Amino acid sequence: MSELIRLEDLVKIYNTGSLRVLGLNKINLSINKGEFVSIMGHSGSGKSTLMNILGCLDTPTLGRYYLDGTDVAGMSPDELSRIRNKKIGFVFQSFNLISRMTILKNVEVPLTYARVRPSERRRRALELLELVGLSSRIDHQPNELSGGQRQRVAIARALANDPPLILADEPTGNLDSQTSIEIMELFARLHQNGATVVVVTHEENIAAYTDRIITFNDGRLISDRINIAPTALSDTAGALGGRMS
Amino acid sequence: MLIENMKMALSALRANKMRSFLTMLGIIIGIGSVIAITSVGDTMRKMFSDIYQDVGVTQGYISISYRIEEVRDSDYFTMDEMESYKEVFGDRLAYIDSGNSVTGEIVTDITKKNFYFYGVDYNYIDVQPVNIVYGRYLNEGDILARKPNCVIDRASAEELYGSAGAAVGRTFRITVYGNVTEFNIIGVFEKEQSAFTALMTGSSANGEAYIPWTLLTWPNDYIYQCHFFADPDMSAAELEQFNEDFAAYVAKTKNREPEDFYIVTAQSEMSTVDSMLSGVAAAVAGIAAISLLVGGIGIMNIMLVSVTERTREIGTRKALGATTRDIMIQFLTESAVLSAIGGIIGIGLAAGLVSILGAIFSLPVVIKPYVVLMAVGFSAMVGIFFGIYPARKAAQRDPIIALRYE
Repeated sequence: MSELIRLEDLVKIYNTGSLRVLGLNKINLSINKGEFVSIMGHSGSGKSTLMNILGCLDTPTLGRYYLDGTDVAGMSPDELSRIRNKKIGFVFQSFNLISRMTILKNVEVPLTYARVRPSERRRRALELLELVGLSSRIDHQPNELSGGQRQRVAIARALANDPPLILADEPTGNLDSQTSIEIMELFARLHQNGATVVVVTHEENIAAYTDRIITFNDGRLISDRINIAPTALSDTAGALGGRMS
Repeated sequence: MLIENMKMALSALRANKMRSFLTMLGIIIGIGSVIAITSVGDTMRKMFSDIYQDVGVTQGYISISYRIEEVRDSDYFTMDEMESYKEVFGDRLAYIDSGNSVTGEIVTDITKKNFYFYGVDYNYIDVQPVNIVYGRYLNEGDILARKPNCVIDRASAEELYGSAGAAVGRTFRITVYGNVTEFNIIGVFEKEQSAFTALMTGSSANGEAYIPWTLLTWPNDYIYQCHFFADPDMSAAELEQFNEDFAAYVAKTKNREPEDFYIVTAQSEMSTVDSMLSGVAAAVAGIAAISLLVGGIGIMNIMLVSVTERTREIGTRKALGATTRDIMIQFLTESAVLSAIGGIIGIGLAAGLVSILGAIFSLPVVIKPYVVLMAVGFSAMVGIFFGIYPARKAAQRDPIIALRYE
């Protein structure tokens, strides 16, 4: 299996006025293509810092970060924008859909920044909304949807440019337990179809869906273990699998 | 991408209709007042130019200057001199008379009316065209023989004699230079005038009549001033040259300096009006600049609010791949669209307002297309200029902080 993410002696130091806080302390980590990984830790453990760096929203103070073979550690903000656009699909805790746009237009946003033609954008967005089971709601505004539906739109949006990495930051944090299961099963299906999914969470039962659980504490990687028995998928979630390209 | 951004801007503005409208108000008022006042200015310019066209743009008067303390006999004009000017200037001098007039009252069985009696030459009809609706105009014989013949305007003829036809052949007496003279009405005329001239002169209570100018010089033949028309086909530059040449020639024949003669022409009066209107336009431009500045600051303010409100959106867009430039252009488009829509509404309101005013005063209103285009362009520029700071602020947001913004 080829390597998608490689962190070498990664250090992040925050300068907050006179105080210097060590966010991440010499992290070495490798994630292969096709893995389903969860990153766990309490707040302040460094998992969010890692998530920001993995997502190219932030840059490390020291060390190297290879994403899909490219060292992104020293890139400029606009270079990072382009990397995020092509290589990373974000799923956020609070969905972050743009409120006055239809869900179809929301899914088209990453395609717009990739300068995809309008007709092609629409075709791709429709395909993705069908994949997440929302093709009947394409003209709805986000506030007309339930939390679970919104998160599914966000997942469709994350998949828009077919990025090698899906990065989900507490994707079930704002959802009830039943909807959380649906969303995690959707990630599991994406993984089954070959996507690399990294989920940042503090909940054991969410991490339990993934194949590999990495735990952080005080800015250090304290545990990296294989989840021998991931939570089994329910039968009802099965329908989505076959439609992944 | 531009169309994309415009659509995005419109949907953002629609999301806050009232706020967008209130923000535009500054631009609406600014652009609206510029268009309205510019249009009023252009209408006035058109009005004056039409009036001078009716009056005769090549018309002028020349006389010895009021600054000359010792006026000599030779400073007055004689009919022979005026005849010689015609020979010297040929076609360039289309018409000349003494510019004298008298007032008097025509009394009939029906009513009576005050008249201006203008002393004119037989070819006055060439430089001030009128329609003869009944009878005839003054001819060369009338002028040379100093016949007390007269043509009067149609409205007065109908008022005094019941009809234009009934007026011809009638006689009346008025006092001319101390002598009671009996005049024959030989014709009735009607003037063609622009709407502006009619508006300005239409309500005059006095009648108009033309009599031979030779009646208003005799017996002493010393004429105080020359009233002349240059060739109406002359260009503005040729006309200016003629007026200069004419004054110089008159001065030379009378052993005076050109500046000793006072020459007033329709052309110079028009340029006075023009420069006055230009002054008004400059003042309006200043007021407009201030109101657009105020409007622009309003836009900047609301865009700053909008950027703050949409911090999360900015963070999300950046996470999804928007570059600094993408965000910058998005917000600049929004402020430009906001301002341009304000400009368009302002133009619409101004056009409506001046059209209503035009209808009330029955004036043909002038709204120049290039002024409208400039106004829209300028309002969009105001939007872009005052949008730069908020857009930069948006574009420079750190996506991590923006995504967490509540």
